[in-house]
Amino acid sequence: MTGIKTLADLKRKQEEVRREIDLRRRAEEPDSLVQVKVAMATCGIASGAKIVMDLFVRELPRRGIEAVVTQTGCMGYCFAEPTVEITLPGKEPIVFGYVDAHKVDEIIEHYIKQGELVDGIIPQNYNTIAEPD
Amino acid sequence: MVDLAMHMMDIVQNAIRANATRIDIGFLEESRKGTLTFTVSDNGSGMVPETVERVEDPFFTTRTTRRIGLGIPLLKMTSEQSGGSLRVVSLPGAGTVVEAVFRTDNPDCLPLGDLAGYLVLLLVANPDIHFSFSYRLDRDHFLIDTEEWVKQGFTDFSKKEMAPAVTEFIAENLKTVCRKRNSESFLC
Repeated sequence: MTGIKTLADLKRKQEEVRREIDLRRRAEEPDSLVQVKVAMATCGIASGAKIVMDLFVRELPRRGIEAVVTQTGCMGYCFAEPTVEITLPGKEPIVFGYVDAHKVDEIIEHYIKQGELVDGIIPQNYNTIAEPD
Repeated sequence: MVDLAMHMMDIVQNAIRANATRIDIGFLEESRKGTLTFTVSDNGSGMVPETVERVEDPFFTTRTTRRIGLGIPLLKMTSEQSGGSLRVVSLPGAGTVVEAVFRTDNPDCLPLGDLAGYLVLLLVANPDIHFSFSYRLDRDHFLIDTEEWVKQGFTDFSKKEMAPAVTEFIAENLKTVCRKRNSESFLC
């Protein structure tokens, strides 16, 4: 790919990407949208959430997974940052803690692709420290 | 926070949480004054004056998931460490402006960090928010406006598949602007 420096370059790239996506869509079920939320508050940023989010953004399309990657605020698990919440279609969301590059790979290959649970799940009890009495 | 790009992500996350639909990010380098002014302004829910007074307090947060909020206090700390300052202006219902001044003639000025990388993550994660990003170094200027992009036919900027290209676009243009920085500045 030649260098991208102008809006015209970006638009050329856009056409290229659209063609690729069209090809892939035809081969896949469209209702299999996976949701990935990366905690991007002060605690997450400071412990490397960017690397994790970068990897999801890059690796999911490369491995042919249709997913929505978004950022979210602090989920209250600052001790376990970077944390990621994954929602598979039709399933309860699951939060993974202490995520790094290796873990991202494991989550994609085992949890997202095959539905197998991997280490590092944070049990959710839906209570927060400021829960009113 | 070890660089300004991290602060940018952090402060913008606050704006997103305030339900902003438009977020303007600005970096203004003025070599004559030896300053870099970093601004994030949003059209989110805004804050009442009593809240604005307390945002610099690390033990104040509106969140219920934990009792400590360090985003603004850390930005205040890093800007003041370089001899700069922090200002928060907000109006309920209208939005908030966070402005941090860093002194670039001070060796404690934070490096910029991966602005392009963080910006692209913001674009990918928030396709419905209208972002503008401006970087000005004296007379040189680089501006992104997602609404302007859409008008000109570039609509897929928030697609993951476009992320590498958009990152390269931003990084290359920032490099061109920053090449003009004079050697006395500690910013890098």
